[in-house]
Amino acid sequence: MTSNAPAPLSAGAPWIVMKFGGTSVATLPRWQNIRELVSSRRAEGARVLVVVSALTGITDALKQLCAQEDKGKRIEAYKAIAQRHYELLDHMQLPVPETLAERLRELAGLAEEGPAVLGELAWSALVQAHGELMSSALGATFLSHTGVPTQWVDARECLAAIALPNQNERTKLLSAMVEAKPDPALNARLEQLGEVFITQGFIARESQGRTVLLGRGGSDTSASYFGALLKAQRVEIWTDVAGMFTANPRQVPGARLLQKLDYEEAQEIASTGAKVLHPRCLSPLREPRVPMLIKDTNRPELEGTVIGPEVREHAPSVKAISARKGITLVSMESVGMWQQVGFLADVFAHFKQHGLSVDLISSAETNVTVSLDPTENLLDSDAVAALASDLAKVCRVKVIAPCAAITMVGRGMRSMLHTLSGVLAEFGQLRVHLISQSSNNLNLTFVVDESVVDELMPRLHEMLIAAGALRTDDSALFGHSWQSLYGSGETVMAADAWWRNECRDRLLALGAEATPRYVYHLPTVRKQARELKTLTAVDRMHYAVKANTHPAILRALAGEGFGFECVSPGELKAVMAVVPESAPLLFTPNFAPREDYAWALSTRATVSLDSLYPLEHWGEVFRGREIVLRVDLGRGLGHHEKVRTGGSGSKFGLPVDQLDAFLRLADTHGVAVRGLHAHLGSGILDVKHWGEVYSQLASIAERIGSVAFLDIGGGLGVPSHPGEASLDIAALDETLRKVKAAYPYYQLWMEPGRYLVADAGVLIARVTQQKGKGSWRYLGVDTGMNSLIRPALYDAWHEIVNLSRLDAEATALYQVVGPICESGDVIGSDRRLPEAQEGDVVLIAQAGAYGKVMSSPYNLRDEAEEIILD
Amino acid sequence: MTQPIQPRLTQVFRFVRASYADGVAELAYAFDQGEELIERVRFPAPPALTPERKHAFAAALKLLHLIAGISYYKAGVPPSIEVAYGPLDDATANLLDDLYLHGLAEFAYRNGLDLRGRIAFPRSGEPPGKVEAPALHLPKRTLVPIGGGKDSVVAAEAIKRIGGEATAVWVGNSPLIAACAERTGLPLLNIQRELAPGLFELNRLGAWNGHIPVTAVNSAILAVAAVLYGYDSIAFANERSASAATLEYEGQQVNHQWSKGYAFEQLLSDWLHTHVAADLDYCSLLRPFSELAITRAFAKHTPYFDVFSSCNRNFKILGPKPADRWCGQCPKCHFVFLALAPFLPKPRLLTIFGRNLLDDESQAAGFDALLEYHDHKPFECVGEGAEARAAMYALSQRPEWQEDALVARFRSEILPQLDVAQLALEPWLQPSSEHRVPKRLQAALAAIA
Repeated sequence: MTSNAPAPLSAGAPWIVMKFGGTSVATLPRWQNIRELVSSRRAEGARVLVVVSALTGITDALKQLCAQEDKGKRIEAYKAIAQRHYELLDHMQLPVPETLAERLRELAGLAEEGPAVLGELAWSALVQAHGELMSSALGATFLSHTGVPTQWVDARECLAAIALPNQNERTKLLSAMVEAKPDPALNARLEQLGEVFITQGFIARESQGRTVLLGRGGSDTSASYFGALLKAQRVEIWTDVAGMFTANPRQVPGARLLQKLDYEEAQEIASTGAKVLHPRCLSPLREPRVPMLIKDTNRPELEGTVIGPEVREHAPSVKAISARKGITLVSMESVGMWQQVGFLADVFAHFKQHGLSVDLISSAETNVTVSLDPTENLLDSDAVAALASDLAKVCRVKVIAPCAAITMVGRGMRSMLHTLSGVLAEFGQLRVHLISQSSNNLNLTFVVDESVVDELMPRLHEMLIAAGALRTDDSALFGHSWQSLYGSGETVMAADAWWRNECRDRLLALGAEATPRYVYHLPTVRKQARELKTLTAVDRMHYAVKANTHPAILRALAGEGFGFECVSPGELKAVMAVVPESAPLLFTPNFAPREDYAWALSTRATVSLDSLYPLEHWGEVFRGREIVLRVDLGRGLGHHEKVRTGGSGSKFGLPVDQLDAFLRLADTHGVAVRGLHAHLGSGILDVKHWGEVYSQLASIAERIGSVAFLDIGGGLGVPSHPGEASLDIAALDETLRKVKAAYPYYQLWMEPGRYLVADAGVLIARVTQQKGKGSWRYLGVDTGMNSLIRPALYDAWHEIVNLSRLDAEATALYQVVGPICESGDVIGSDRRLPEAQEGDVVLIAQAGAYGKVMSSPYNLRDEAEEIILD
Repeated sequence: MTQPIQPRLTQVFRFVRASYADGVAELAYAFDQGEELIERVRFPAPPALTPERKHAFAAALKLLHLIAGISYYKAGVPPSIEVAYGPLDDATANLLDDLYLHGLAEFAYRNGLDLRGRIAFPRSGEPPGKVEAPALHLPKRTLVPIGGGKDSVVAAEAIKRIGGEATAVWVGNSPLIAACAERTGLPLLNIQRELAPGLFELNRLGAWNGHIPVTAVNSAILAVAAVLYGYDSIAFANERSASAATLEYEGQQVNHQWSKGYAFEQLLSDWLHTHVAADLDYCSLLRPFSELAITRAFAKHTPYFDVFSSCNRNFKILGPKPADRWCGQCPKCHFVFLALAPFLPKPRLLTIFGRNLLDDESQAAGFDALLEYHDHKPFECVGEGAEARAAMYALSQRPEWQEDALVARFRSEILPQLDVAQLALEPWLQPSSEHRVPKRLQAALAAIA
């Protein structure tokens, strides 16, 4: 109980509507939480209206009660429902208040009476309404008893359902609509009654006085209606997640919290996939311009999502991507439709006739393609067959499924098209069946094969960020990633990086001496290596040395017990020169000449083959040897290759359909296939992939017999953007162990490269000058793509900081460029950095992998020296 | 330590011994004088053996030993076979000679071997008909092996339908099969089979490798289980087309599914009647039916759609997505997709597989093989070519399918070469009268048709 109650509110004090869902009102601790939140809003000087759902599980129990034909069973069901409320009151140590007792008597009467008197639907609506009537009565008692005097308001006296054309009795009673306009009379009436109120979500009353329900998302919609009626300062939706995200966190753990949206964007996101809000609950707020705030009940300190009318000056940005699965397309092709009056009307009449609702439409002169959402009618009746038969009479029809609609949402989508080239290129590799861009300029939708979606979404999300289309660098709009808020894996905390604190002074000193310089931090290499050694499922780890061949790094990893994977004789020689004899070596070249193999077979390295040619033409070289076969799982992995290594489009690996031929050749030459190898690609953060590759390799190995180990490659992702989650090593181990349990007789090998060394290396350079060009500001440093080609080659994003001014406020927006005479010599674009001075030391992070090894003498600029910190 | 053995150069395959204690059967084999290879079969919660069943159990266990040996024998395919407990009567020797020859026919074909004249189990010369097993009055209940695919679901559901008492049984630890078995709602029995670890070593040493008739091994395991736990019938779900040969090779029929065929069913069924128990029936409930009749029956069992899979590639790891159960590349995926298509709404079928295999041109060769167009039937448990052609023809007549890449290709390229009169679906839906289903279960046949 608060010792000093807040001062009474004046007339005209603003309203805050707070809505709490079923789990938020089901237990005493949750109600204590509500009480705290309500008092804090009251303390802000606002009147508070709390809108509640029924206790979790009660609405379902009431529906089951309604479905019981037997009176005895209905009464039993009633008793169980009453008991839930008694138990909660018991925890609260409160007696049953008369307000609740009255509701319980009424519900008992309805259970006794059955649907006969009121009619099935009206009775059912009234029975279900009791869930909220009871929870709100209970809540009023609890809040009042704990020092927050709270008035109980019957929502049905405030929300009047309107009659709409084409409504039937069912929709009228079970998914009613309310027209909510600011209502000063209600406002005045409530002001007379008190300061804190509680009412019911989900219910209203229609013109004949019957209780009606608001249908799905009903409680949120109630809160919006009240927000509009009272012209509230804001409506707060308290739920189990902090708000809307840039993608479905289940598909994209790196999805970022959206902190600000306008109504239209939010509605678009809600209707294309986000489950946190029902799309209908935003429209009541739009006209009275009442903002909505989504908050996490368990984590009230998180910012949440504000949805309002305000369109502040922000760079246009994609706000979210979503995927809706289970979509069926119907493509209709006919010259007959060209300039034919009424053709489309006739076609659509067939859809109506077969009970199929059309969502997206794209049309050209001779083709119309529409999408159908997955409904029971679509899946389990002959509706599609019947529709196709009817349509086939007037056009060529093709039914394309299963598809998924991938939608990018953001205000001003058309103005962002130029930033999407990489993203569009990605779609270019897929079967895109339909593209739709709404005229409200809020969305861009691609319909693709459903099978690609799970892989595609995280990648698209990443690409949108990398392309600067999803401006996660704008911290006013975008909050933390879902992974960092709710996930189990560790997130990259920028403050943790070795160069930021521990070694900053050393680096500044090194930078003052000479630049450009690569600096490698061996403790970080060892830390990463030890982390990978926690993968208990893996029997042998090899460092893929092409990432960085510095002898000190090779030695450090040999010290950690790693083997080494080399792709050329040069790499093998470099490794053999520094690592002990006992360190295992792999030789995994691609399109290597005959003499490379011959030489490698003279060393202790295990040699890999990935095509028929060497055995067909140089069989003698391999006679009697044991080799590793690198396979391309091709489309066996489905979608994945298309997206990443492209099946036949990739030059690596033996296609699985040539396996038998390879084995026959191997047999002919007495070559034993001892290991199978497949490599996914790089930068993969989703652990499931390795499980898939592993089990696919194992099932192939079972057909071969001689195989003793499976090498699932590397590609372990290293997140680059702050707030992105790192690979969950424990989850990876669990996935691998599961596969291993099924195939215990194969050893498991891996070949990580970048994961071990990327974070351990930085490139330091010095500022040489600045240039302004229009609104663009270029910051020149003394090295560029000659030292670090990844940004130019892969569009890679490297964090860039001004080490000399690390703590200064980042006010300038720079294009960070090098001195190479190429327009592609941009190390980072649109970087927020402090105002820089000539001579400042600039640090480019994550340069430990594919940095120095890919550098070139281009323009004959001095190469970056390498420094080791241990 | 003995010298590492060269599997392909071995001279004798020896059936060393078979023993049973506390629910574990140990089956021991050896090549030449090499180390013993010991396979273990674990029967969970084993009841004590009643004295009247002891003899039958010993006979079933011996057969399991002789049949399961095929996994090891094939590693070396030596010229001589020895059985430590003496020569076999003619009926037993005939069964095994046939099984080893026909069951390994594909293995032989793939490895370029000829096993004719090579396989000869030792015989005592005791003629068939001399052995008569008594009736054991086994409880009237059925073991229904579950394989995770559509067939065993249809069999299990048919027995449920006629109110038969049954147990869903499977060998091994496939999570997919376990999920399917659970979905039946029947009591469950999961038997574990552990191959001798030495077999993997032999493989590494260059053993012959390839397909073995695993249904025969599982059948023998279930015969032991039926005696142990008390079941009067074992009802497999092997369909009519399992009896059709995949190809002929140098005068020999090669059938990938030989041990699922009617010939083996008759051999084993007779053998069990005469050597184990006169009242132990071994049959296939689906024998009278074509694949298409079975897929039609399966299409009604919606609750299994998200757990079953007939794909052989992705078997051991179970994930939630269709791609985790259906590789979409193999003949099984192709065939089940094609055979279900005439009987399910298209969008529903596509949710099962997660993709449309018939709208993917890169799969043309796979479907051609099923249709026996340009190619022989694949080495998989799939339907007959004519059956696949009937299903494809049915789709080619349906507007919702006929524009899909491979259906359109069928219409323009393959159909003109075919006699439409031979392409009707209906004849395939008629059951044949050839089966060994015991009286007690015959009502289930009507439930499937």
